[in-house]
Amino acid sequence: MDTALKLWSVVLIVGALNYLSRLSFIALFARRRVPPLLARAFRYVPAAMLTALVVPMVVAAPGGAWLPALPKIAAALVAGIVAFVTHSQLKTLGSGMLTLWVLQALAPRFG
Amino acid sequence: MRGFADDREFRAGFKAMLPACIGIAPFGLVCGVGAAAAGASTLGALGLSAIVFSGAAQILAVQLLAAGAPLAVIVLTCFVAGLRFVIYSAAMAPYLRPLPARWQQGLAFLLTDQAFAASVRRFDAGGDPRGGGMYFLGGGFALWSFWQLANIAGFFVGNLIPAAWSLDFAVPLCFIALVAPHFRSFPTISAALVSACAVIAFAGLPMKLNLIVAGLIGIAAGTLADFVQERWTPR
Repeated sequence: MDTALKLWSVVLIVGALNYLSRLSFIALFARRRVPPLLARAFRYVPAAMLTALVVPMVVAAPGGAWLPALPKIAAALVAGIVAFVTHSQLKTLGSGMLTLWVLQALAPRFG
Repeated sequence: MRGFADDREFRAGFKAMLPACIGIAPFGLVCGVGAAAAGASTLGALGLSAIVFSGAAQILAVQLLAAGAPLAVIVLTCFVAGLRFVIYSAAMAPYLRPLPARWQQGLAFLLTDQAFAASVRRFDAGGDPRGGGMYFLGGGFALWSFWQLANIAGFFVGNLIPAAWSLDFAVPLCFIALVAPHFRSFPTISAALVSACAVIAFAGLPMKLNLIVAGLIGIAAGTLADFVQERWTPR
């Protein structure tokens, strides 16, 4: 498939699906009652999905070396603690990036 | 637009969102760089950020496009990653119910992780629903505008950013900022831990299908833990 056609298909289909997800309970099922099991499962969607997105961006690729990934793992843990305590997006971003930069600067000494 | 810009609640919502706008700027830059790397045209990259308007979906879409994944896989992965909007929609619904249908349809488009978090606080503070809606509109408008600017900047000049800055790392940090504050209950922690193990265990699956698998297993684990907790909590 041609790149431009494929990209626009993604834009329109994913754009529509995302909008329907956003609209779902605000308008589409506003008068429906959610089945209790589904309501219970829904609560854990953000924790499960966001974690699944984060972990591969932080840890080493399978089969890859673990040592080079250590600064990112440490920085992610620091950022996680800062996020948990402060609830601040900017402090989380700042502490995580700073930890990563410091550890990456120190890494060659231990390499 | 003039009428909106004069509205006190619209301006308050806009202003309150500015720190979050700075926070998502690196993420937007990374998305713009990714769109350029996937071979998107200027208009295509702009369409992606303006219409899809979700960092998680955009970054997955451009990575899968660059890897040559089939359209069906890209759509399915982005859809599952966007399922959390259903939760935000359910949580926002009671607040938006008093507003006209047109408002609901418009505000739904601006529903994001950040807008959700900010607006729930404002709606909980009370006041008339119209004021809350205006506040939400102001915040959503700020996020959407800054998101487009960051994406365009990343698309055109992202390759000038030195690799040593590890800007890519801003992406997981944005998600950590959203998810870590919720690690306060047994079921939520279970959902996250099981999902983390599953995403590594299934890393061998092609085309990032491990994300969907891990997400669904994590949701199941959270639900199960919720039942267990309910059973064992003394009343």
